[in-house]
Amino acid sequence: MGEFSFPYFYNYPPYFTLQPMKDTRDKQIQLWKELILKYCKHHKLFLIDLEEEFALFENTSIQRKLTFEAREQFLSALIADGRAEWLDKNHRKCLILWRRIEDWADSLLNFVRENGIELMTLEEIISGDETYGTELAGLDRGVLVRAVKILEQRGKAAMFKGSSTDDDGVKFSPN
Amino acid sequence: MRRRPGISGLQGAVAARDQYRSLGDNVAKVRQDLMKEQLETFRHQLEEFASKHKNDITKNPAFRAQFHTMCAKCGVDPLASNKGFWAELLGIGDFYYELGVQIVDICLATRPRNGGLIDIEELRSSLSKRRRSVLITEDDCLRAIGKLKKLGGGYEVFSVGRRKLVRSVPMELNRDHNLILQIAQPRGHVTVEEVERELSWRSGRAIDALENLLKEGLAMIDDGDPDGKRHYWFPCVGPSELETESGGNM
Repeated sequence: MGEFSFPYFYNYPPYFTLQPMKDTRDKQIQLWKELILKYCKHHKLFLIDLEEEFALFENTSIQRKLTFEAREQFLSALIADGRAEWLDKNHRKCLILWRRIEDWADSLLNFVRENGIELMTLEEIISGDETYGTELAGLDRGVLVRAVKILEQRGKAAMFKGSSTDDDGVKFSPN
Repeated sequence: MRRRPGISGLQGAVAARDQYRSLGDNVAKVRQDLMKEQLETFRHQLEEFASKHKNDITKNPAFRAQFHTMCAKCGVDPLASNKGFWAELLGIGDFYYELGVQIVDICLATRPRNGGLIDIEELRSSLSKRRRSVLITEDDCLRAIGKLKKLGGGYEVFSVGRRKLVRSVPMELNRDHNLILQIAQPRGHVTVEEVERELSWRSGRAIDALENLLKEGLAMIDDGDPDGKRHYWFPCVGPSELETESGGNM
């Protein structure tokens, strides 16, 4: 994983203040949406909690930090695009979908096809040896479960309950 | 000529006048031919010069500027027509035409960020970056923008302090706005207090002008400065490390 390179606006202080003029604000929100997705993708992050510090939202080199309101607006805009979802009623925890669930379902299917795998626990997919170094490694559990459900609907997989959640697994029928 | 009396005298006068006229016509014709010939030679030599130095003219900015000066001295405008022999020979009309298209392109692309006002130096360096082999000078930009102006797209160059800004959207920029941009130039931003202090304005005037600049999309506010004051930033002026837009690496 290389160094993440920030876009020009990240070092331009006014982009950390929600702009009052609509046109300017629209552009600002657009830039931040793209940045959040890129950043989360680069660092494989799936969750942003508005109650907690999130490194991207503070640029110490120019001493600027997004306000709560700004962060909430940027995330809401991502949600409106279908690239994020609130995970709780209070709108604090946000799932960032830098890849769509359907795309995760596709890459999971490709992976088991290429490797001739028929059975895997969720844990193995997320942190097992087989997926180590692939894009599936480190996948958010919630996202994975939903990807599997998509495969279930397509008749390509079936989820089964293990004795504990660690043993929950998937039976694949990729062909 | 002494005038002789009688019919023959009158006839003689008519004949003489005819002779003078035809002589005069002759002289005029000779002169005209000579002029035609000179023009032909001049044109021929310019053509020869132009085709010989075509590469220098399009590639070398200093040479291009000198060529323009020379043309201006002769009263020739190589940009006057795109169909003229200049365009055919040099593609020099094309050169500025293309430059104009790229200028419009850059102005449009940066408009969301700078509100339609761009420092000519930033414009010039983006143009140079686009045409890797050809150096573009400020003079080239001014010429190309001059052509654009005739199309009526609202393109205009104006001075703010020692710098030139290119405006690509029609907007009302009055003296107050210009003065504020001038103050903002060194750092790229100002506060209401700084404007009032520098220009000895009462506070209403500064706020009005700044709010107008904000409405025009030329300014952005920054409420996060450690000094606790609202700073008005102007993407079109100030130190521009913004030029290099680094793509995310992923």
